[in-house]
Amino acid sequence: MKIRTALGLTASLVASLSATVVFSQSLADIETAAKAEGMLTTIALPHDWCGYGGVIEGFKAKYPEIKVNELNPDAGSADEVEAIKANKDNKGPQAPDVIDVGLAFGPSAKAEGLTQAHQVATWAEIPDGIKDAEGHWYADYYGVMSFLVNKDLVANVPQDWADLLKPEYAGQVSLAGDPRASNQAILAVLAAGMSTGAAPGEAAGKAGLEYFKALNDAGNFVPVIGKAGTLAQGTTPIVIMWDYNALAARDTLAGNPPVEVVVPKSGVLAGVYVQAISAYAPQPNAAKLWMEYLYSDEGQLGWLKGYCHPARFNAMAAAGKIPQDLLDALPPAAAYEAAYFPTLEEVDANKAAVTGGWDATVGANVE
Amino acid sequence: MTDIPPRHRPKLRLPIAWLGILPFALFALLFLILPTMKIVVGAFQSPAGGFTLQNLIDLNTDSIRSAYWTSIKLSLITALLGCAVGFAMAAAVVFGGLPKRIRGPLLTFSGVASNFAGVPLAFAFIATLGPAGLVTLWLKTEFGINLRAMGFNLLSFWGLVVTYLFFQIPLMILIIIPALDGLKREWREAAAVLGATGAQYWRMVALPILFPSLLGTFALLFANSFGAVATAFALTGPQLNIVPIKLFAQIRGDVLGNPNLGYALAFGMIVITGLANVTYIVLRTRSERWLK
Amino acid sequence: MTRIFAWAALLLGCLYFLLPLVGMTEFSLKMRRGVYSFDAYVKVFEDPTFWATFSYSLTLAAATIVFGVLLVVPTAYWVRLKLPQARPVVEFITLLPLVIPAIVIVFGYIRLYNTSSFLPLTGSAFGTDVLLTMGYATLALPYMYRAVDTGLRTIDVATLTEAAQSLGAGWFTILTRIILPNVLVAVLSGAFLTLAIVIGEFTMAALLNRPAFGPFMQLLGANRAYEPPALAVIAFAITWACMGLIQLVTRFSKHERAKA
Repeated sequence: MKIRTALGLTASLVASLSATVVFSQSLADIETAAKAEGMLTTIALPHDWCGYGGVIEGFKAKYPEIKVNELNPDAGSADEVEAIKANKDNKGPQAPDVIDVGLAFGPSAKAEGLTQAHQVATWAEIPDGIKDAEGHWYADYYGVMSFLVNKDLVANVPQDWADLLKPEYAGQVSLAGDPRASNQAILAVLAAGMSTGAAPGEAAGKAGLEYFKALNDAGNFVPVIGKAGTLAQGTTPIVIMWDYNALAARDTLAGNPPVEVVVPKSGVLAGVYVQAISAYAPQPNAAKLWMEYLYSDEGQLGWLKGYCHPARFNAMAAAGKIPQDLLDALPPAAAYEAAYFPTLEEVDANKAAVTGGWDATVGANVE
Repeated sequence: MTDIPPRHRPKLRLPIAWLGILPFALFALLFLILPTMKIVVGAFQSPAGGFTLQNLIDLNTDSIRSAYWTSIKLSLITALLGCAVGFAMAAAVVFGGLPKRIRGPLLTFSGVASNFAGVPLAFAFIATLGPAGLVTLWLKTEFGINLRAMGFNLLSFWGLVVTYLFFQIPLMILIIIPALDGLKREWREAAAVLGATGAQYWRMVALPILFPSLLGTFALLFANSFGAVATAFALTGPQLNIVPIKLFAQIRGDVLGNPNLGYALAFGMIVITGLANVTYIVLRTRSERWLK
Repeated sequence: MTRIFAWAALLLGCLYFLLPLVGMTEFSLKMRRGVYSFDAYVKVFEDPTFWATFSYSLTLAAATIVFGVLLVVPTAYWVRLKLPQARPVVEFITLLPLVIPAIVIVFGYIRLYNTSSFLPLTGSAFGTDVLLTMGYATLALPYMYRAVDTGLRTIDVATLTEAAQSLGAGWFTILTRIILPNVLVAVLSGAFLTLAIVIGEFTMAALLNRPAFGPFMQLLGANRAYEPPALAVIAFAITWACMGLIQLVTRFSKHERAKA
């Protein structure tokens, strides 16, 4: 009897403790504190990426007292982590409150002590494998790697990774980021490696580096960061980027030039990004409010509008919260069924291989 | 009040007079001298805070060495070409027997073009000589000339050279035209009287007189090109390996893995541009002797 | 013979300068497929970020000009009048911004004025704006000082000052009602040049993370196809307008002096 009471007491104590960890601040408290802080500093959120433009506008409309200070939209994941490090002592507007980085960058940022824990109200609906148990980082959305092709300048649209090596694509293929800092570019290398048959992880990372070395030696690789603008201007007619970015670019260009979004036949890689709050955030409560907004139905649908699959996609679809027209506009589900979701260890090993080996193996700089 | 000549009361007047430039001194100190000193001192500091030459030694890695070499190459070539073409155009206007009305518009345009560096210049050249640019496509459709097949790529070292010349040549024109004006007609006539041909006049009279100006302007163009970052950044992005872009990336995020190395990088830039500018000033003072 | 070479040199040079301008204008008109239109310009002018960054840069330009005038005119005047021995030092300082690249200067600012320094300017948005304005003033200093100094050289500063003092004017009155009107032309030249510099400036604004026009142009250039050349045309037009205004102002003053 005593043991059972003791156990029961301990259990309820543990439950209430974890409840306080999860819900130490109610949403109303966070809102008040955030409004008192008056500003949120974000970094690396291009407005065309996953519909962030709409998401930020939605946040501003909901909380007009909070100014959103957007830093360097072109920053890669590594740059975001560096920005936190560089501003440890700085509480000014150059220090980011929140970061949105590739899956491999979440645990490494936590290990360096750059993140603080927060579990959003809808925490339970985020799948387990892609969130940190303590709440330091949590998945926000995912997509698959694809090619964006400028049909005006490319006669024969490539369908697979092997096609890109053909001589007809001389000086046309580019990555959408710096492969030493941008998660998008690092995972593009992984996908290329996987298409050659290598096992995901370090092996595919190294194989991907060899692939890009071959691409560069053949003269097909353009060492310029590819975006919608450079695609249309002709500098980078083929860009390897996430399908959601490719679809958003297609919308922006509105047919001038006409583009095609191609998910390659082999080496279909799904990439997950994670959110985190900086441990040195000058406005921590605004950061928490931002997270609550992102993981609310409104925020998740905002990302869906940008062609991304938000973290709560499965739960929301099951609950019927997603409008049919948004579902229809998404890339076909078949591509996602064939897609491979790399584990945390695999993206970690790949990141180490690519960032460390790019300069030595490929060494493609603008000459 | 009869005014007493200052030299009878130097001790009283001097401090007050110097007070007048105190605001300027304060501004220069806070926003010019101290930041530069911070960089220079930082280049010789180790993370622990003591004096060290290690940062400068660390500059001797492959990628940094090649960045400096590419920057120097780029600056030398754009300065040389800028001088040559600028001189040709300036000489054409001053001595070529062209209508006098061309001079004014050329000078005004040079003023505009020398300030049109940076992001918009990159856009202009991409729209003209880029892979889908006006001239590129025109050459392809009208003459079947494929610039890329001929080896020209705007997003390369030589593409950057072509772009940089847009503000280097006008700078040369602006500076050399007053120097060319200083070449008195009497000297030409005197040389002709003594039997010199045009070429001999240029070789033995005009160019030696102009030489300090030319060399000095060359140094100025060199420094101008070495420090430029906006145009290159907008044209090729952060993957061009020149020193300003490397420094830009280092400031934004510690890509080199060593904050003090950034100081050393900047210090190297100051030394190089400083030397070039000192050369320019020294040579300008020498040339002014002749051209008064 | 020389004339043929001269014309050839001039025309080739003009071709090199005109082609990029034509290229960017032509590209900016190609937004609507197949037909020339001003769609890109409409898009640019409809973008609220364009107006936000442009007005931000204009405001900073105005602040830089005001600060520059308030700093340079009294200093140049004082040096000319009372401290000729300080002249070489002051001139050397005004030439320093030409020697030290802007990127190095702003690197120094970021390291020196962060929140743990004696002057924590980067600790707030307003402080960073002030820092950026000071940076712009530093960049424009050589041109502003040279313009004002040249202007002061043409008027007899000592006599004017003595005359004003004998009429009982204090320093402030002398500067504002005697000196400034006489160097207005030079000041305006410096002001327009400062405007051209500030509007297009990229390095300092990007590294200090302020929403200025330069970084906005660079960002648009990466993400859009036809708006960047439109922005380049607008930027070029502004630079040309500034230079043209300088010419106009100097020619206007020459006429005035001729009358006197």
